[in-house]
Amino acid sequence: MGLKVQPGVIGCTIRPVITGRTRSLEEIIYDTAQMALADAGLTIDDIDGICVASNDQFDGRAISVMMASGSVGGVDRDILSTPSAGEHAFILGALRVATGQFRTQLIVSWSPTEVSSMPEAQRLGTDPYFHRALPLDELSAHALQASALEHALPGARRAAEAVAAKNRAQGGARPEEGTSRWPLTPSMTSQPVTGAVALVLASPDFIAERGMTKIAWLQGMGWATEAGFLGDRDLSTAPALEAAARQAYAMAGVTDPAHAFGVAEITDATPYSELLAYEALGLCRRDEWESRTADGSFRVGGRLPVNPSGGVLTWNPVFCTGMIRIAEVAQQVRGRAGAHQIQGVKRGLAHAGSGFAMQYQSAIVFGSEVRT
Amino acid sequence: MELLGRQEVWSITYDHALGETASSFYTRIRDEAAIYGRRSAGNGRVMVPPRSFSDETLLPTEDWVKVGPGGKIEAFTMVYESFKNLPPPPYAFGYVLLDGADTALGGFFKGVDLSDPAAAAEKLKIGTRIMTKFAAERKGEMLDFWFEVDSPAR
Repeated sequence: MGLKVQPGVIGCTIRPVITGRTRSLEEIIYDTAQMALADAGLTIDDIDGICVASNDQFDGRAISVMMASGSVGGVDRDILSTPSAGEHAFILGALRVATGQFRTQLIVSWSPTEVSSMPEAQRLGTDPYFHRALPLDELSAHALQASALEHALPGARRAAEAVAAKNRAQGGARPEEGTSRWPLTPSMTSQPVTGAVALVLASPDFIAERGMTKIAWLQGMGWATEAGFLGDRDLSTAPALEAAARQAYAMAGVTDPAHAFGVAEITDATPYSELLAYEALGLCRRDEWESRTADGSFRVGGRLPVNPSGGVLTWNPVFCTGMIRIAEVAQQVRGRAGAHQIQGVKRGLAHAGSGFAMQYQSAIVFGSEVRT
Repeated sequence: MELLGRQEVWSITYDHALGETASSFYTRIRDEAAIYGRRSAGNGRVMVPPRSFSDETLLPTEDWVKVGPGGKIEAFTMVYESFKNLPPPPYAFGYVLLDGADTALGGFFKGVDLSDPAAAAEKLKIGTRIMTKFAAERKGEMLDFWFEVDSPAR
């Protein structure tokens, strides 16, 4: 089942790492929104609605849309905020265009590193009844998932090491590694950085009216959420992503996902996250993880290039990494992915996963054609 | 030019209501040195830690079920950084499926030397039988109990 009105990405800016302190967070958000509008060739007066996503604990500003409204042009305009996950702002904006009531949407997400401890800020995301007395941050949750996967599948560790090496190499082998959290080694994680991302979506009639080209059409999307308590889940599986993929593929008319895409960007919070996504997205069975990661199937130049951007293991602006994956695939389809452009991408797949051991899962299919 | 920053430390205290279900879980730990779960209506699953409703069936849970003290490890990790309001690192913690339960309970693992992570991981490998231990003096909180690898019967 397709969308009533099919949105297309007409503008995009991806800032996976922002260094220095010459711009405040509000100024970074302003810069990012302006860059995306400029890429689309629009001004804020062309925008019918705005969706933003950020994390109050990371921002150090409660209900951060209050301070961000001015930065993104939300004063006296329609603006909504999704604190659950960066990618949820994209889904909300796409749905708003799909209703036919909005012709354009500006989508912005960001993730600063101003808090003294990201792990402590993330612990605030756990319930105050049973889990805050544990050292449970997102990295611990990813480590627990990795331990469950290593137990479920002998060989998962070798596959994870290959995925980490692939993404780090494709991202230019950023030297700084992350934190050790058994069984995760520093090369399997990455230090948080400040980053931001923005997209401009438009309806087909707006795009036709403006004579726009280089469009990434949203062909399918799905999203689902797993249980909040990790102990309620089988951490060696990703049922929410399977549900999200089914929804996205049905909408896009994808029946053979392993051979349907020219590129994929997967949220590799750890390489184990990427491996689980291979399976849940129908790209590769788990009993093939070791052989496919060893033979380069998912490297640039392989059967399906995964994370030519280098992924989260290269740059990890924690809260907006999922939306960056979506933006990266949109840019690949638009032929504007820069140095890591894969030639001739007709259709691409983005996986956005967020939260504790990927509690929030989304799958997005973009194509260069308006309809599948 | 000179770029300035502003450091802020906020100290705000929350007084979270645990409600009847979580309160009962902790008072039983304190008074009985025992772990209880709640049986879910509709599918009969025993949820530990206890919930007053099932997020699968959306029905209220029906009755209390004593679980453990034995169980098996479902997932574990070792953490080497310190966290606020917790004992000093390193920690080993994870999830344990207690006997009689259908969902796993998070908690600390103790009694394992964490100075050699690989050796510790072998002792804490998934599926290993554990025993729940309780502090002699209990306050009705998560740190009142922990898990230790169950010694083989002699």
